[in-house]
Amino acid sequence: MVSRTSLLRGGAIACLAAGALVLAQGLWIPVKADIAQLLLAQAWTRAIDGESAPTPWPWADTWPVARLSVPQLGEHAIVLAEAGGEALAFGPSLLNASAAPGENGVSVIAAHRDTHFAFLQHVEAGQTIVVERPDGPPALYRVTGSEIVEADRSGIQVEGGPPRLALVTCWPFGSITPGPLRYVVWAEAVDINTI
Amino acid sequence: MASAHTSHSSGGQAGFGLILAIAAFAISGFLFWSDARADTLAEPADPRAIDGLVRLSEMQEGALLIETVEPGYYLPAPMLATDMAVEIAGPIIRTTITQRFENPSDQWVEARYVFPLPANSGVDRLRMQVGDRFIEGQIHERQAARRIYEQARDNGQRASLVEQERPNMFTTSVANIGPGETIIIQIEYQDVARLRDGTFEMRLPLGLTPRFIPRTDDYLLVSETNPSPAVPDAHRITPPVMAPSSEPGDRLRLPVTISAQLRPGFELGEITSLYHATRIDRSEPDIAQIELADGPIPANRDFVLTWRPANETAPSASLFTEDWEGETYLLAQILPPATLNADAPRRPRETIFVIDNSGSMAGTSMRQARDALLAALDRLQPEDRFNIIRFDNTMEQVFPAPVEASDGRLRQARRFVRNLDAEGGTNMLPAMRAALTDDTPEDTSRVRQVVFLTDGAIGNERELFREIHNRLGRSRLFPVGIGSAPNTYFMERAARAGRGTFTHIGDVSEVSERMAQLYTALERPVMTHLDALFAEGTLSEIWPAPLPDLYYGEPVLMTARLSDPDGMLLLEGRLAQSGWQTRLDLAEAQPAEGIAALWARNRIKGIEETRFQGAPADRIDAAVLQTALDFHLVSRLTSLVAVDVTPARPADQPLNSQDIAQMTPHGWDFDAVTRNTSPVDHAALDPELLRRLRVHASPEEAALAAENGLPLPATATPRELLTWLGALLMLAGLIFLMMNRERRLW
Repeated sequence: MVSRTSLLRGGAIACLAAGALVLAQGLWIPVKADIAQLLLAQAWTRAIDGESAPTPWPWADTWPVARLSVPQLGEHAIVLAEAGGEALAFGPSLLNASAAPGENGVSVIAAHRDTHFAFLQHVEAGQTIVVERPDGPPALYRVTGSEIVEADRSGIQVEGGPPRLALVTCWPFGSITPGPLRYVVWAEAVDINTI
Repeated sequence: MASAHTSHSSGGQAGFGLILAIAAFAISGFLFWSDARADTLAEPADPRAIDGLVRLSEMQEGALLIETVEPGYYLPAPMLATDMAVEIAGPIIRTTITQRFENPSDQWVEARYVFPLPANSGVDRLRMQVGDRFIEGQIHERQAARRIYEQARDNGQRASLVEQERPNMFTTSVANIGPGETIIIQIEYQDVARLRDGTFEMRLPLGLTPRFIPRTDDYLLVSETNPSPAVPDAHRITPPVMAPSSEPGDRLRLPVTISAQLRPGFELGEITSLYHATRIDRSEPDIAQIELADGPIPANRDFVLTWRPANETAPSASLFTEDWEGETYLLAQILPPATLNADAPRRPRETIFVIDNSGSMAGTSMRQARDALLAALDRLQPEDRFNIIRFDNTMEQVFPAPVEASDGRLRQARRFVRNLDAEGGTNMLPAMRAALTDDTPEDTSRVRQVVFLTDGAIGNERELFREIHNRLGRSRLFPVGIGSAPNTYFMERAARAGRGTFTHIGDVSEVSERMAQLYTALERPVMTHLDALFAEGTLSEIWPAPLPDLYYGEPVLMTARLSDPDGMLLLEGRLAQSGWQTRLDLAEAQPAEGIAALWARNRIKGIEETRFQGAPADRIDAAVLQTALDFHLVSRLTSLVAVDVTPARPADQPLNSQDIAQMTPHGWDFDAVTRNTSPVDHAALDPELLRRLRVHASPEEAALAAENGLPLPATATPRELLTWLGALLMLAGLIFLMMNRERRLW
């Protein structure tokens, strides 16, 4: 009886400890995303000062390439260079295969649906998106609409055409497991004088 | 967040929960760090350790280099055959090079083809066969050419781009090479035979000197990923210095066959191949067929052929014309009579010797340079002044300023030269600056000459040319090219900018002869103020303009576009205070091909050189571009872009190799490399190397991928999952604990 009690007790403590660990990891994800953005803000000012590829912390393999904001929603984030998916933990990433913001073609920026791009579900057509660049005036975009696509058949042709922006995150929002669907918010470049 | 309160509601266990939470935070901190570290830790080992991979700069011969997963490192494709066919008509040399390779892997790959070219020549024809596709090069403006190439490549077509990286280095990209496919590449370029002391010379460059790029502070080897500020395209010409011993393995290369047809326009005298044994068929007096005597040779040494007219007293002028698109183009090579300057008095001189002892000179080159310099010191007279400067990435002068050539000083200088060893990087600029610094610019009793011994393995040519233009003054620059494959482009242009001559020493056995030639030129008076005059009222465009000064034994070499193909050409100049002139009848000119292209090439060179005199860059660009497009030349602003010219065939018809041979477009000739080829020894290929190739999608897969659009990354975190799982586990643990406690109370 005694041995069974202590066995139960040990199991319970193990359960509690494992649970705490797993929980902490889950809770750590948004904290890490926020801390990273704070560190990135400093690297971003260095990027504006003309430093090429300023890494936010010494061992980082990515660096800020733009600052994205949606004034109507009060949302903003530092956008990173794509680095094998690792960068997504710290901020939205500009996909290497896509166009630079403001250039002809489609600039594709992806981020996690439950951290940096959780706000995408609230973005509506007609809203303005500002992409600040380290080496030029901000690029302005107006949201034209959104669509749901499959990740490996996105249909996004990045080359050619006027400057466009595609913000990408996972779909559906609030789902617990990862899936093959992506939510794409489309925006087209607008002249700064028309705002 | 609500689930977080669970741990606090555990009453007496609150402290324990807190400790756990802190521990979990610390562990997650480590996870944060390890997340970001993941890529750095996974970095591959130094690829230099992989035997069999090469860099572009290491290639000493024509090669097809397949891209690997290591950026900047390539696997040379097995070469099945190489043929070089040369046609010499008058002074114009037209070379056709055909090389055959095989993709040794069972993957779709992309590759780059490299080939060393003679200075002042450029590829004007490109033909390729990749598998069953036939591709031909067309001249386009460079940006447009790149766009066409990239589009074709993305559409899964075989495409190739020829760009001028440096005027004596030819590279072309070959995309979409299928598994096991054969690739045949044929390039044609044009060159002009050099006439010196009555002997014509042709050089087929088979080796390429590795180049060295200096940095502003430190002189490190440059990798493909770190372009040096002084050489913006450093990552494209990839220059670290390599020991000649580290050549690719024998199984990966096959020797070269060379054949030449010589029709010089006069009765032939002596014909010599300097470094290779040849068999010469001379059944007709003014035609010779030249072939290699011992069969194929390894491609690591330039092939040099010289020929002389049978009758040494024959007229020392040769005129050739070509009618091209309604205009007449003239090539004139005129040798001023040697007797004119034979007995002019010798003038005292101030000679600055500069010797390159950088790492790229190691071995035979250094010995040649030392011998050449020692031979030069022997020619100094007591009334001369001299100094010696040696440089690698550092610089040293034997005397602080030029000194009289006394016996004691010469002994000191010889000792210094004998102790020179080749090591370090190349930083030529400070040495050039020091050599051109003239303490007595007003001294007219002495001529000032700078003799520069180097292999020219440098990448910052532009800075050096500017230095020469700005500081030349009364000095004259005489570059001496050392080694089996020096950077002739740099040296010829440096000689022209420095108003001196270029001497090339390819072998130790040539040192004394070539240095004696140079010294004769240095000691004899110079022909200046050269001008060519045509009949009054006719408009002609002459290049080079102005005509360069002539040293002893050198011919006047000029090209012109003539408005009147008949009439007389009057050539005049000044030699040692007296005038010289000669009159030639254009009606006696012989027809030859390729003169228009040669004229256009000279024109481009002349326009480019106005840059150092302050001509606006946009005007230069416009003139160069127009000339290059008009005459179908590859230049700084134009590229050859390959266009698929495969004849159409029914799509449902299977293809065998015999069909491919029959489909070869009209006028194409790949026979030389299809007749005799040795099969690739696949067993000898290292499968480990093949695994390192950068694999590309097949054209079908690429088309499908283009249709599917950009693949999107995973953008879901396991946050919700982890949070819920953790909360549930903790809840279960708490319930158990509470049940346990209640049981004990009973």
